Amino acid sequence: VKKYFRELSVAGALAAVLLALAIFAPAFYQPHPLLSLLTREAPTLIVACGIALVIICRQIDISVGSQFAVCSVCAGLLAAEGLPLLVAFLLSVGIGAGLGALNGVLVAGLRLPSIVVTLATMVTLREALRWKRQGVFVNLPDGVQWMGLSQVAGQWTLIAVALMLLVALAFATKHLTAGRFVYAVGTDAEAARLAGIRPQLTTFYIFVVMGALVGLAAMMNAVQSPQVDPKSGSGLELKTIAAAVVGGVAISGGRGNLWGVFAGLLLLACISPALTHLRIEAYWEKAIQGAIILLAVVADGMRSRKQGQSHG
Amino acid sequence: MNTDKHGFKASLLRHETVLLIVVALEWLYFNSVGPRFGSMDNTFDIIRHSVEIGMLALVMTPIILTGGIDLSVGSLLGLCAILFGKFWRDVGMPLPLAALGTIGVGALAGGLNAALITWLRLPPLIVTLGTFSLFRGLAEAITRGVDTFTNFPASFLFLGQERWLGIPAQAPIFIVVAIGVWLLVHRTTFGRSFRAIGFAAEGTRYAGISVERRLAMVYVLAGIVAAIAAITYTARQGQAKADAGMGYELSAITAVVLGGTSIFGGIGTVHGTLLGVAAIGILNNGLVHARQPREVAGMLTGLLLILALTSSSFPKMLATWRARRQTSIAKTPVTT
Repeated sequence: VKKYFRELSVAGALAAVLLALAIFAPAFYQPHPLLSLLTREAPTLIVACGIALVIICRQIDISVGSQFAVCSVCAGLLAAEGLPLLVAFLLSVGIGAGLGALNGVLVAGLRLPSIVVTLATMVTLREALRWKRQGVFVNLPDGVQWMGLSQVAGQWTLIAVALMLLVALAFATKHLTAGRFVYAVGTDAEAARLAGIRPQLTTFYIFVVMGALVGLAAMMNAVQSPQVDPKSGSGLELKTIAAAVVGGVAISGGRGNLWGVFAGLLLLACISPALTHLRIEAYWEKAIQGAIILLAVVADGMRSRKQGQSHG
Repeated sequence: MNTDKHGFKASLLRHETVLLIVVALEWLYFNSVGPRFGSMDNTFDIIRHSVEIGMLALVMTPIILTGGIDLSVGSLLGLCAILFGKFWRDVGMPLPLAALGTIGVGALAGGLNAALITWLRLPPLIVTLGTFSLFRGLAEAITRGVDTFTNFPASFLFLGQERWLGIPAQAPIFIVVAIGVWLLVHRTTFGRSFRAIGFAAEGTRYAGISVERRLAMVYVLAGIVAAIAAITYTARQGQAKADAGMGYELSAITAVVLGGTSIFGGIGTVHGTLLGVAAIGILNNGLVHARQPREVAGMLTGLLLILALTSSSFPKMLATWRARRQTSIAKTPVTT
C-alpha cells in the first residue's frame, strides 16, 4: 500500500469527487452525457499515457497539441480524398511518429533540452498549419464519423480502444524490458548506460512512441465529428501533463505508473462538468487546472523533502 | 575560441558579433524588399512592438543564467494587464496608483514562483508551467473571457503611442530596465553568482552564497518587470484583454537563446539578449513589409529557436565525436 500511496490518494480524491457529484449533482450520472464525456476523454487518455512515458524518461513534450492538430488535419484531408479509413488511421500514426522522431533527434541526438525543443516545434507546427490552412475546417466524407458505426457503438469502440491501449502500455511498462528501460533511463541515465542500456536511443524511441500515440489519438478525435477543427488539440499538452503529474508521475523522472495517470485524467475530466453542475462559471477551469498542477507538485515536493530530511 | 578572449580574431567569432552581422544583414534585406521599412517611423514602430518582449527577455536572461526558466511571464503579463484595468475602472484608483498596485501584484506572483522553486526545491519548469496556466486562467476568470478594458485617458495612451523627446514614449522605460539588468548581470557580484548557480548550484552553496535568496530575487524581478510590461502593453494597445501577452514567453526565451545564453545556464550576456530581441523585432516587422502573413513570423521564430539551439550544441557534439574517434584510434594498436 505504501508503494502506491500516491496513486491510491488520487483514486481516493476521484472517488470523493464522484461521491460529491452523486449527492449534490445527481444529474451528472445521466448515461448519455457521461458516455459523451468518456468518449471525449478517450483520445486524451492515449496522449496522457504517452506524456507519462516521456516524463518518466525525464523529458517533457509540450508540442503534442500542435502534433495533434497537424495529424488530424493531414489525416482528415487524406480521408476526404477518399482513402480508406484504416489507411488514414495508419498514416495519421505515421505522421505523428515522424513528428515525434523530429523531436527525438533534436533531444536525444543533439542533447538539447526537451522543454525548449518542444516549445519551438509546438509553435512552428501550429503556425505552419495556420499558414497553410488559414483555419479552414476539413469536411470528412460520409461513413467516417463513428467509423461508419452507429453513434453509441462508435463511442464504445473508441473507449474500448483507449482502455485496451492503456492496459497494454501499463503492462509493457511494468513487465517488458523496453518498459523497464524507460524507468532506468529516467531514474539515472548514466547508471542505465553503465548497465548496458543506450539512454539516448531509449529517449529517441520514447518521442517516436509519443508521436505515434498522438497520431492515433488525433484520428480517434477526428472521427467523433463530421469536420476536423484545425484548432483541435490546443491546450492538450497542459491537460495531459496535468493528468500525469496529478496521477503521481514525478516530474524528475523515473517514478509513476499509468493507472495513476488514468485516475488523474478522470479527476481532471470531472472538473468541467462538476463546475457546470455546481453552478460555478466555466471560465475558472483553466485557473483550477493550474492550481491542481501546483498542488500536485507541492505535495510531491513536500514528500520528497520530508524523505530527504529523514535520510540525511 | 576559449583560449584568447580578447584577440581581434576571437572577438570576430564571438556569438554576439555573429549575431550583430545577422541582424545587420536582416535589416539590409528587408530594407531592399519593403520601401518604407528603413524609415524613422517604421524604426520607432519596431521599437514600440519590441518593448514588452524585450523587457521580458531582459529579465529572462538572469533566470536562464541560473539554469532556470520562467514560462509564466506571458500569462502574468495578461493577468497584470487585466488587474491594471480592474484597479482603474472598477476600483476607481487613479492611474499611477493602479500601476503601483499592478507592480505589487507582479512582485507577489513572481514571489509565488520563487517560493515554490526555492522552499520546496521544485523544478522551475513545472512550477512555472503550473503558474502559466494559473495566471492565464485567473485573467480569464476575472474577465469571464469577454470583458475588455478600454477608454483609457489620452495622457495614459501617450505612454504607448506617442513620442517623448522625439523617441517612442515607452523607450525610456525599456532603456532603464535594460541598463538595470545589464548592470545587475555584468557589474555586480549578483551577476557572478547567477552564473555560478547555473554552472553548479551545490558548489555555489558551499562557496557561501545563499542560492535560494539569489534565485528568489530573479523570479521576483521577472514578476515586477512583467507587470511593467503589462502597463506599457495596455498603453500601446489602448485596451486590456485576458489574452494579452499570449505566447510572449516563447518570444522572450527565443530572444535570450538566440542572444547566446546557454539554456543549461552559466553562460550568456545581456547585450546578446538585446541583439536577439532586435533580430526577432526586425523579423516580425520586416515580414509584414515583405507582404508575408503573420503566421510566417511565428513559424520562423520557432525555426530560429531550433537553429540557435542546434548551432550552439553542434560544435560541442562534433568535439565529443572527434575525441571519441581519436581514443578509439589510440586504442586500436593496443588491442591488435
